[in-house]
Amino acid sequence: MSSKAEIIARVKQHIKEKHDMPTIEINAIQYADKIAQFKSILQTTGGEAIELQPDENLNELIRAHFTEAKNIASNLPEISLATINPDETADPHSLNQIDLAIVRGEIGVAENACVWVPQLMKERVICFIAEYLVILLNKQDIVNNMHEAYAQLNFHNAAFGVFISGPSKTADIEQALVVGAHGAKGLLVVLV
Amino acid sequence: MSTKHTKAADRFIANKAQETWHNQTLHFVRDKRDKVAMQLPEWEELRDTAHQIKMHTITHLDQYLEEFSTQAEANGVRVHWAKDAEEHNRIVYTILHSHHVKKLVKSKSMLTEECHLNPYLIERGIQVVESDLGERILQLMDQAPSHIVMPAIHLKRQEVGKLFEEKLQTEKDNSDPTYLTRAARAHLREEFLTADAAMTGANFGVAATGDIVVCTNEGNADMGTSLSPLHIVSMGMEKLVPDLKSLAVFTRLLARSATGQPVTAYTSHYRKPREGGEMHLVIVDNGRSDTLANSEHIQTLKCIRCGACMNTCPVYRRSGGYSYTYFIPGPIGINLGMLRSPEEYSDNVSACSLCYSCNNVCPVKIDLADQIYRWRQKLDSFGKADPMKKIMSVGMEFMFKRPTLFRAGLKMAPMLNYMPRPFVYNGLNDWGKGRELPRFASSSFASLWQKGKVTGAKQKHTDHE
Amino acid sequence: MKVGLFIPCYVNAVYPEVGVASYKLLDYLGIDVDYPLEQTCCGQPMANAGFEDKAIPLAAEFDRIFDNYDYVVGPSASCVAFVREHHPDLLKKEGHACRTSGKIYDICEFLHDIVKVDKLPGRFPHKVSIHNSCHGVRELQLSAASELNIPRFSKIKDLLSLVEGVEIYEPDYVDECCGFGGMFAIEEPSVSVCMGQDKVHNHIQTGAEYITGADSSCLMHMQGVAQREKLPIKFIHVTQILASGL
Repeated sequence: MSSKAEIIARVKQHIKEKHDMPTIEINAIQYADKIAQFKSILQTTGGEAIELQPDENLNELIRAHFTEAKNIASNLPEISLATINPDETADPHSLNQIDLAIVRGEIGVAENACVWVPQLMKERVICFIAEYLVILLNKQDIVNNMHEAYAQLNFHNAAFGVFISGPSKTADIEQALVVGAHGAKGLLVVLV
Repeated sequence: MSTKHTKAADRFIANKAQETWHNQTLHFVRDKRDKVAMQLPEWEELRDTAHQIKMHTITHLDQYLEEFSTQAEANGVRVHWAKDAEEHNRIVYTILHSHHVKKLVKSKSMLTEECHLNPYLIERGIQVVESDLGERILQLMDQAPSHIVMPAIHLKRQEVGKLFEEKLQTEKDNSDPTYLTRAARAHLREEFLTADAAMTGANFGVAATGDIVVCTNEGNADMGTSLSPLHIVSMGMEKLVPDLKSLAVFTRLLARSATGQPVTAYTSHYRKPREGGEMHLVIVDNGRSDTLANSEHIQTLKCIRCGACMNTCPVYRRSGGYSYTYFIPGPIGINLGMLRSPEEYSDNVSACSLCYSCNNVCPVKIDLADQIYRWRQKLDSFGKADPMKKIMSVGMEFMFKRPTLFRAGLKMAPMLNYMPRPFVYNGLNDWGKGRELPRFASSSFASLWQKGKVTGAKQKHTDHE
Repeated sequence: MKVGLFIPCYVNAVYPEVGVASYKLLDYLGIDVDYPLEQTCCGQPMANAGFEDKAIPLAAEFDRIFDNYDYVVGPSASCVAFVREHHPDLLKKEGHACRTSGKIYDICEFLHDIVKVDKLPGRFPHKVSIHNSCHGVRELQLSAASELNIPRFSKIKDLLSLVEGVEIYEPDYVDECCGFGGMFAIEEPSVSVCMGQDKVHNHIQTGAEYITGADSSCLMHMQGVAQREKLPIKFIHVTQILASGL
């Protein structure tokens, strides 16, 4: 008998009383101003959200925030300041020197400021290896909570997707918060 | 009367400054947890639902395991099954060996600690690099985690500074956490870039989609798995949830309970192998199927390893993770250790004042304290009961079963006022360590009653009649 | 209404004044109170130490002794919680249905929920810090546990507010364990004493003159710590404050 068959048989044999699946109808939190809530929580995570104004140019706005960035990775057509297209990279290791990556998020969540970023690029490592990360998010796509987020999650048949909330961080040394452990040292969400 | 926990706790408390820091720091995490929990009016509803989802899932685990593995295989993930730690380690090694892996980067996984995977791989010539900062610090020190979420919480920054001076050539006497973290970032970046394979644990497995969900703050799991062509996931089989709708409940509870954050920085869903790469999943039993049959302890299978029970536990906070003999400390660790081997891990059962705070913080409502109470009832049958406690319990029963003897004892007691109340009289020295003994009253309540000296305020009494 | 007064073993021996205050309160409120003399102990010390079987005969006796009363009322949240939560399981092992578990009350919850007392005579012009004991809070729900997101309440606070002059405080870590825990106190003395010291310190930080609560066992433990350290704080059971005008 295979280990799988043995394990499943054992599990079956050991289950005594079966419990029903509950109806998941959480009376979950709603926010009068989801954008304000999203912004305020993102700030507590060490990130920042700004709204692109009608008279503002997206590329100029990003450039103004990251004046020093030289190697900029993005596969988004509207990002003209990109210097590297991660879809045209043969080896993800070559993306190590990226200063800034710009990706698209699909859902923002007001309760915890996370943004759903499905892997719509060949090398997802840009989301983590870049020194700084920018996520573009349509402000109409901010939902109240994770229940709403998962209810409308689109995986796009991708290999991977991630909710990102703020920059990478750690508190492993004496519980002192340090932003920028392995991944991005800063996160800017541009609400468009 | 003392257990290994008692003795280790003595040593921990002897360093008062360290104990105070440890206690306060972990209580601060509990405070943060309280704050975010109180911000959600539906908090208790979430806990209750999470409990029910987990009870349902583990009592239908055969079906969900089939669904999950079928789905994962359809996604191109290669699924392996391990009955025990040995089989798990063998599977992982075989995969690594067949891919000629020299260096493996790992993100945090308590399951691989449970299986003692690292020494197994290192003995066989594979370089294993822990990538979570806390885990890496401990690996460089050759220590084990003292907390399941904050593995290096027992260390002071100066100790990390010293370690990094030696291992990572950082500046002498610089123990600034930001400086040290940056040094670790640079060091581990090199390791990520040169690793041949990446390994992660799993916070959740989603049966309906085959997703492996990993939650980190550092992004180390993602860094490793996004660079390497080979990703191995090690997952305890109780980690399943039915679907994404269920998962939503747990993603709301996990980080809030663990660290007081509304969510971890990264909630990563691994569904398929990287393009041109391979993803392997090892589903591990290692005693979990036995727990399923144990109605008194089945609820441990609901655990999502958030560590909230440690942060609130007044004993854990004041005795530290290393005072426990099982690799998982605190209330959940006491219970998991007993399920692993009651003969080997019974020393931890004393580490509980039955305050029940753990039950209340647990995001999936595990009856942690009740289970510890139940283990205590069984210690005698394992030959692990404290003989002094047994003598005292037998003595108390003898006296309390005899009301006349009890009352005679009450009468005698004041003459022996250097003794504590009857049922602790054998434990004089241990009580006396940091406390004065209570003094017996010159007349007990029973004798006052017998003498008619217990009276009401007659006048007012009459008013009421 | 006939009430059987349950005076736990250690209250009987060490704190008879708590029993007297309890009697006076119930009597003042017009309740017919009796103290069945053959009672001894609820069995909790042995059970928490891991010898539940030694508590079974005591639970059976307890159930027999208090069977004829409408209510069983005792001034000790922990002992009451043990009867309510554990006696049914203990007696089930003997094929015996527990009759007292459904009618036993800690005196605070009895006064608050059953008698619904809304005024008390007397004055107690002192600052007191409430000791929210583990079993009182987390088993009997005498107050809203700090871990839970439920509406805040405190039955002890409500009752103390009826006594003129009382200034009520609560410590930081409002319902953290004092480290007593029955035999835990002697099996893990270092941790237990450390918890006790922290708890007494937090109570003293409130500026209170007295630590008060529904569990004499916690008070006894903290008193032992305070006396050893010669700390400037006094101890009083909540019934003694409530009965201060009687």
